[in-house]
Amino acid sequence: MTAVDIHSLVGAYALDAVDDLERVAFERHLRNCPTCAAEVAELRETAARLAEPVAEAPPPRLRDSVLARVAHTPQERPKQPAGRRAEPGRRWAWVASVAAAVLFAGGVGTGTWAITRQHFINQTSQVDAVLAAADARAVTQDVEGGRITMIISPSHDAAVALLSDLKPPKGSYQLWMIDATARPVGLTESGSGRFYIRGLAPTFGLSKEPKGGSKTPTEVVGKLDLR
Amino acid sequence: MSGMRPEQELPTQRLVAVPPPQVRGPDANELLARVARGDERAFAELYDLVSARVFGLIRRVLRDPAQSEEVAQEVMVEVWRNAARYDPGRGSATAWVFTIAHRRAVDRVRSEQAGVERVRRAAAVSAETPYDDVVEAATARIEQQQVRRCLGTLTELQREAITLAYYGGNSYREVADLLGTALPTIKTRMRDGLIRMRDCLGVTLA
Repeated sequence: MTAVDIHSLVGAYALDAVDDLERVAFERHLRNCPTCAAEVAELRETAARLAEPVAEAPPPRLRDSVLARVAHTPQERPKQPAGRRAEPGRRWAWVASVAAAVLFAGGVGTGTWAITRQHFINQTSQVDAVLAAADARAVTQDVEGGRITMIISPSHDAAVALLSDLKPPKGSYQLWMIDATARPVGLTESGSGRFYIRGLAPTFGLSKEPKGGSKTPTEVVGKLDLR
Repeated sequence: MSGMRPEQELPTQRLVAVPPPQVRGPDANELLARVARGDERAFAELYDLVSARVFGLIRRVLRDPAQSEEVAQEVMVEVWRNAARYDPGRGSATAWVFTIAHRRAVDRVRSEQAGVERVRRAAAVSAETPYDDVVEAATARIEQQQVRRCLGTLTELQREAITLAYYGGNSYREVADLLGTALPTIKTRMRDGLIRMRDCLGVTLA
């Protein structure tokens, strides 16, 4: 995509109406375009105002449970505690940090992703780093009625795997990094999900497995060349 | 919201009983700054300030009340956890909170539902014209009326593209399908519709 093509997504991006791959491409575009970042920040601000007319009081128990959880939840430290500069070119970072903060969190509690909450907390900044890496690139493949997208960063020796709308497996889908051997790197019982993977290999594989996964791939349904 | 009284007609001693004319509640930006320093009381105040909009927005996207409650809880805990990452130079505190809420709701919708089922539900949402569905429980805020008025200044296609995406949780491709309109047109309408909303609402970032 050219810069003009990708920038045409600015409205859709501000409305969260792009897919994960487009979001990554758009956020990379923003890093090189301070005026675009300013436009995005304003359109995001505008979109957020759409929450006003649909306000609806939540059940009172929500307040109690949120405050109870907060009392036991440690806070993250600021990302750049000192010497933070406020030039307009860095406005995108606000958007990106929001995006990264919610990227993994959307499925927590649904039971569909094979990661625990603690993993999520540990992984947020790592995912952020992969998506923001200067050498990040994407590989996609249509498989099982849906699509696998891999965002790969060689400099971080890591990848983020996005599964979207694959047919729900009878057992599990298992994710593998494959060189001489196949290393299991993730497991899910849903056709959609996101995984942080540390340690790259020449090939990424997806297989169908009995529930709970296997030590070696049983039925490989997708292979992506990561080189 | 109705604290203004014709003070000049009141006897001096009764002025004491008149509440200060506090039209607006506590400022969300200030509260979030205190939350970032670990102030739980400030967080409770912030919760009271934003929770109806957070919950309402999530509910609009997800429809299901129980799921909406669960996601709203995750969002508010996330606000607590990441408060220090908010930078007032890059947008208002409320926009930061609602952006997180919307992303979470959309992620949940997209992770849990097959495409066909979601598009069907989205069609049901579009028939409701969210902008005139007044939520009685919410106070009649000036902002609400302004947002509705500004939505009313959009062309029908701009408005449908924006509401189907934002309230329906649809991607622009799905919106294009639903409206039977070309992808480039939908992208353009989302952008110029938001720009018109921005100008109508007077949104600027200092």
